[in-house]
Amino acid sequence: MISFDNVTKRYPNGYDALSQVNFSLASGEMAFLTGHSGAGKTTLLKLLMLMERPSNGRVLVGNQDLATLGNRQIPYHRRRVGVVFQNHQLLFDRSVFENIVLPLRICGFDPADATRRAHAALDKVGLLDKEKLNPVVLSGGEQQRVGIARAIVHKPQVLLADEPTGNLDPKLSEEVMRLFQQFNQVGTTVLIASHDLGLIARMPHRVITLNRGRLVSDGK
Amino acid sequence: MENNQRRKGAVRVEPNPKRDAKIHRGAEHHRLKIGDKGRSYLRHNLEVAKQSYYSLLAQPLTTFMTLAVLAIALALPGALYAGLKNLQQLGDGWQGDPRIALYLKLTVTEESAETLSRELLLRDDVAGTELITAEQGMLEFQAMSGFGDVFSFLDSNPLPAVVMVMPRNLSVTEVPLLQAKLQALPQVDEAVVDMEWVQRLAAFVRLAERMVWVLTALFITAVLLVVGNTIRLSIESRRDEIIIAKLVGATDAYVRRPFLYDGVWFGVAGGLSAWVLIQLSLLLLSSPVEHLVTLYNSQFELAGLGFVETILLLIISILLGLCGAWLAVGRHLREIQPQ
Repeated sequence: MISFDNVTKRYPNGYDALSQVNFSLASGEMAFLTGHSGAGKTTLLKLLMLMERPSNGRVLVGNQDLATLGNRQIPYHRRRVGVVFQNHQLLFDRSVFENIVLPLRICGFDPADATRRAHAALDKVGLLDKEKLNPVVLSGGEQQRVGIARAIVHKPQVLLADEPTGNLDPKLSEEVMRLFQQFNQVGTTVLIASHDLGLIARMPHRVITLNRGRLVSDGK
Repeated sequence: MENNQRRKGAVRVEPNPKRDAKIHRGAEHHRLKIGDKGRSYLRHNLEVAKQSYYSLLAQPLTTFMTLAVLAIALALPGALYAGLKNLQQLGDGWQGDPRIALYLKLTVTEESAETLSRELLLRDDVAGTELITAEQGMLEFQAMSGFGDVFSFLDSNPLPAVVMVMPRNLSVTEVPLLQAKLQALPQVDEAVVDMEWVQRLAAFVRLAERMVWVLTALFITAVLLVVGNTIRLSIESRRDEIIIAKLVGATDAYVRRPFLYDGVWFGVAGGLSAWVLIQLSLLLLSSPVEHLVTLYNSQFELAGLGFVETILLLIISILLGLCGAWLAVGRHLREIQPQ
């Protein structure tokens, strides 16, 4: 589902965020991406989201070479990928429900269908009773769950997460990880960037390790 | 080709079923039908138009200030145009007076002067003639000037016979043509027409026309800048929303749409306010103008903007709103990219 083929990302200042990275993730697989801060985890996720383009090599998502997608096709690519951010990226000028229904609106779902799907996603993350609240009144863990619900509401093929447990205490972190596992169990390919090594070690999933932009271990 | 089509419209952009089908290849469970996409496109436009309308109402002060500037910037050229139209009407409706006075040669007898006057009357380009014989001319002169005694020192009447010719076509170009033709007649010593007033008016109207164009260009630029700046601020205040929408797969068209509708609403409201301003100022002018007109004993009536002109004003202001928004959106949305 995801494949990096000799990928290098060099920034204009000459800094190599990634160099010659090779790995692939099968459809329905779940993996962690670890490494010190600055190891290139975020850059790798950005390449998958087409927020950046590689300087060299090929990135494939669902058998599609991302280099073949023009800028105008980026939105359609992003609709296949759900992303959970460390800082949630929620909108505080609208309710939890409105936050979650946004990707469906953008994809052009029928309103009734969109409402049904948003409720299903909220139910999945256990926040159905908070749909009318403003996310600002929710706890950090709840906000993160809203972020997750928004990432999966349109059933993306791939779910990416960048330090999803960064600001959460161990108990909440574990809950969030369980959620990712559940989505993985229904067939979504999941890749989670995290440096919470303790938590990762307790979960039976592949661990891809980066160090200063180089792949140290692909966990196979 | 396709890219061009997509770039062209504020409106037609979003769903491209062919491309989507290609991209959604792996995920059968959330592919949308073409019909659904069309409907969702229309629905989104309607929704965004409504949201944009209410969001402008939600900030009454900002909206009012912008609208006031727009209305004034649109009303000034509009009012100038209306004034110009009235001036032109004044020039066109100018009746009666451009008579051509044919001063006949002194050798022309009274009989042949009368014949000439009748012959001229048969011409297509002449509406009427009036013969003032040398005798009549002298009597008139004596009566009007108060120098009646002057003639008693003279042996004979020094005044020529005069034929007053009323041209059929009173336009600024036709009257001098007729004048030249009549001047060429053998009996005519001099053909004189008092066209100066008309020519001056025509020249003034031409100058005013040019001024209206220049001012219109300036004010159009002002409208574009005002709308552009307002939209820029609106984009800035919705930065987070734009970034998140882009992250979850919003097309540029989707992100652009609410701002373009803002521009359209500004255009609609600005155009209407400008229309009200123009009609109000004409209303204020109408009573002094009427007074002036009665003094001149004229049929002149002050005309406001007609139906077609009102529609035109609205279309122009909507287009300006849209263009201003488009310029701002084009520039600033490119800068806002998720990091």
